[in-house]
Amino acid sequence: MHNFTEAFKFIGRNGQIQGGPHVPTLVHLTLGTLKIAGIGVALALVIALPIGLWLGHIHRGSFLAINLGNIWRALPSLAVLAIGVAFLGLGLGNVELALIVLAVPPVITNAYVAIDEVDRDVVDAARGMGMSGWEILRKVEVPLGIPLIFAGIRTAALFVVSTTTIAALTGYGGSLGDIINNESSYHLSGVLGAAICIAALALLIELVLALVQRALTPRGLKLAKAEDQSMALAPLAATDAV
Amino acid sequence: MRTFRVSLLVALAALAVAACGSSKKSTSTSTSTATSSGTSSTSKTGPGAGKPPIVLGDKNFEEEFVLGDLYQQALQAKGFTVTLKPNIGTSEITWKALTSGQIQMYPEYTGTLLSAIAGQTALPTSADQAYTQAKTYAEKHGFTLLDRTPFTDSDAIGTRVAFAKKYGLVTDADLKKLGHSLTLGGAPEFATRQEGLLGLEKVYGLNPTFKPIAIGLTYKALDSGQVEVTDVFTTDPQLTTGKYVVLTDPKKIFGFQNVAPVVKQSLVKTEGPAFAQTINSVSALLTIPALQKMNAAVALDKQSPAAVAHAFLVANHLA
Amino acid sequence: MTFLLAAAPVIPNFGGSSSSFACERANRLFCSEWVSRNWSTVLWPALRQHIVLTLIAVVLGFVISTALALIAYRRGWFERPVLIVTSILYTIPSLALFELLVPIPGFGLSRTTAEVALVSYTLLILFRNTLTGLREVPPDVRDAATGMGMGPMRSLLRVELPLALPAIIAGLRIATVTVISLATVAALIDNEGLGAPILTAISNEVFKTELIAAGGMAVALALAADGLLVLLQRRLTPWARAG
Repeated sequence: MHNFTEAFKFIGRNGQIQGGPHVPTLVHLTLGTLKIAGIGVALALVIALPIGLWLGHIHRGSFLAINLGNIWRALPSLAVLAIGVAFLGLGLGNVELALIVLAVPPVITNAYVAIDEVDRDVVDAARGMGMSGWEILRKVEVPLGIPLIFAGIRTAALFVVSTTTIAALTGYGGSLGDIINNESSYHLSGVLGAAICIAALALLIELVLALVQRALTPRGLKLAKAEDQSMALAPLAATDAV
Repeated sequence: MRTFRVSLLVALAALAVAACGSSKKSTSTSTSTATSSGTSSTSKTGPGAGKPPIVLGDKNFEEEFVLGDLYQQALQAKGFTVTLKPNIGTSEITWKALTSGQIQMYPEYTGTLLSAIAGQTALPTSADQAYTQAKTYAEKHGFTLLDRTPFTDSDAIGTRVAFAKKYGLVTDADLKKLGHSLTLGGAPEFATRQEGLLGLEKVYGLNPTFKPIAIGLTYKALDSGQVEVTDVFTTDPQLTTGKYVVLTDPKKIFGFQNVAPVVKQSLVKTEGPAFAQTINSVSALLTIPALQKMNAAVALDKQSPAAVAHAFLVANHLA
Repeated sequence: MTFLLAAAPVIPNFGGSSSSFACERANRLFCSEWVSRNWSTVLWPALRQHIVLTLIAVVLGFVISTALALIAYRRGWFERPVLIVTSILYTIPSLALFELLVPIPGFGLSRTTAEVALVSYTLLILFRNTLTGLREVPPDVRDAATGMGMGPMRSLLRVELPLALPAIIAGLRIATVTVISLATVAALIDNEGLGAPILTAISNEVFKTELIAAGGMAVALALAADGLLVLLQRRLTPWARAG
C-alpha cells in the first residue's frame, strides 16, 4: 500500500526522482509513448484496413486473413523487436516496423471477417438498387461491419501501447518504458506510477476509439448493440470469437 | 493431411515428455550455466562435499556471467553444491535479491557497492580504501567481502575516435563545452548513479542529454550515431578494436572498481575454510588481460560464459 | 585481504584462432555452428523451460477461470466484477506486472512470480470464452436435458459443457499462444525459457543467430501448441466443424 501512495506522489512530481537528477517528465514520456504508438497504429491501419476490407468484399483469402490472426499471437513481441534491431539498428524506424508487424494482423483479420459476414441478402439488395462494388463497400458493408472492424483496431492499439514499454528493453526509449525498465533509478513506486499511466493511457485510447466507433455506427446497429457495452472493458476478447 | 497430423502429434508428445522431464530442474540451467551443470554431477568429493548448498547470483552483463560461472565451477570442482542464478539485474536489484535471501553471494564491484548500494558520495582515494569501506558496509549488513581481484573494470566515457578528434576530447571535463546538445548513452541506471550522470554533472559540470540504452547495445548506438558518447566498461573487448577512444577521468568519479564476491557471513562459517580459499584462488588469477580475453571470447566470439570459464579454470588447474 | 602479488594466470586460447568464430564475430544472419554448439546447453533447456512455464500457466488459468465461469453461469451478477478485475489485469503491461510482483514476500525473482503474471493474462480470455460458450447452449437443448430427467449437474456435465467445448477450446488456443509469447518477457524475472537467450542476445550486441533461433523456436512452439489444440477439439467434438 505504501508503494501505491508513493506511486501517486511520483505521478504528482511529474516523474521526478526525489533527490535525484532531472529526468524527463512523466508528461513528456507519456506523450512519447503516444507518439510511438500512434505512428505505429496509423501506419498499420493504412496498410491493413484496405487489404482486410477488400478481401472481405471479394470474399477471398479467408485462409490468409484468418491464419494471419493466429500467427500474430504466436509472435513474441520481444523477439520481433529484437530481430528488428538486428536488421535496422537502433532507432524509431525499427521500433515502428516491429509495431506494424504486430498490429497489422488483428486489423486485417477483423476487417476481413467484418465485411465477409455482412448478410449476403443485404448486399444483393444494394446491388439490385444499382450500387457499384465500391459503393456497396462504402455505404453498406463498412457501416455494418464497424463493430468488428473497431474491435480489431482497439486490440491493435492496446497491444501497441503496451509493447512500447518492451521497446525500451531493446534500446529505444522516450516512452514510459524508460521508467518501467529502470527500477534501479525509479524504484518500485516509479515503476508502479508509470504502469498506472500506461493503464490510464490504454483506457483513454479505448474511450476515444469507442466514441469514434459510436459516431460511425449506423443508428439501427446502435440500438441492436446497446446491451453490448461491457465489450469496451474487454477489447481483446471481442476479437477472440474469431 | 493424415500424416501431417500424426507427425504433429508425435512432435507434441515429445515436447510434452521433455517438459515433464525438465520440471525438476529450475533456474540453474540457463543460458550461461551450460557446461557447469555437467561438472556438478561429476565431482562429489573434495572439501565441499556434504556442505550445505550455495546459491550464487550474478548481475546483468557478460563480465558478470563469466565471473558467476568461474566461481560456481571452481566451487563445484571442490565438491560444493552450487546453484547459479545468472542475469539477475542491476546492482540495486541484485543487492535486493541478496538481502532478501534469494541468493547468498554475488560478485560486485567495490566502487559500485559504495556508491549505488551504500549511497556514499565521498569518493575513495585508492583501491584499498574502496575495498575496505565496501567491506565495512557489507559487514554492517551481515555480509562480507572475500578478496578482491587484481583487475578493475570501471565505467568510463567512450566515443568514436573521429568524434574525439573533431572536438579535441581527452578528458571527461572536455565534454563540458558541448553543453546540452551532447547526447550521452548509458545503461538506464546510469542516470541516477554517482559514478554516472550525477557525478558527471556535479564534478565535471556536464549537462548532456541522456539516452538510456541497454548494456551491450552501447557500441551499436555509437556506431549508428544514436549517441555521441556513451558509458563503456574499461574491460570491454570492443575498446581494443581501435575504433573507439576512452576519455580519462582525472577526478576519479568512476572510482576504483575491483571485483570482490559479497558473501553472507553465515555462509563463510558453514561452508568451512575451503570455501573462501577456493574463491580467493580464482579471484587472484583475474587480471586485466585474463578478463579482456574472456570477455572477448563471450562478447565477440559468442562463446557461452560457462565454456569460457571452464577453459580458464582447467588451464589453471582449478577445475 | 590486501592483494599480494599472485602468480600470473595461464590464459588459454578459448577454442582456437579467431577464424573459428568468424561467423559469430561478423554477426552474420545465422551461424549454424553456434546453434549446434549451444543446442544442448542453451536452446533445448530453454525450450523445455518454456513449455513447462506455459503448461503450468494455462492449466492453472484454465482451472481458475472455469470455476469462475461456472459460478457466473449460475449467478449472473458475478460476471461483471470478474470481467472488470480480469480486464484490468489484462491492461497492465507485462513488463510492469512482472516487476510489481517481485517485491511481494514469497515471490521474488522466481518462477512463481512469472507464473502468477502469466496466469493473470489467461483469465480474461478463458473466462469470457467459457461463459459465452455455456450461455450459447440453446435453451431447447437444456430443456430437453431436463425433460429427459437430468439434474442440473448432469445436464451441465453431459450436455452444456460438451456443447460449449468449441468456445472453450478456442479460448484455450488464444490463451496458450498468448502465454507462449508473454513468457519470453518473463525471462527478465526468472531468467528461464526462450526469453533468456533472447535477452542474452540483445545484451550481446544483438547477436542475430541466437535471436533468430530462440525467437523462431518460440513461434514454432506457439504454432505447434495451437495445432495440438485444434486436433484436440476435433477429437472431442466430432460433431462440430473445427474452427
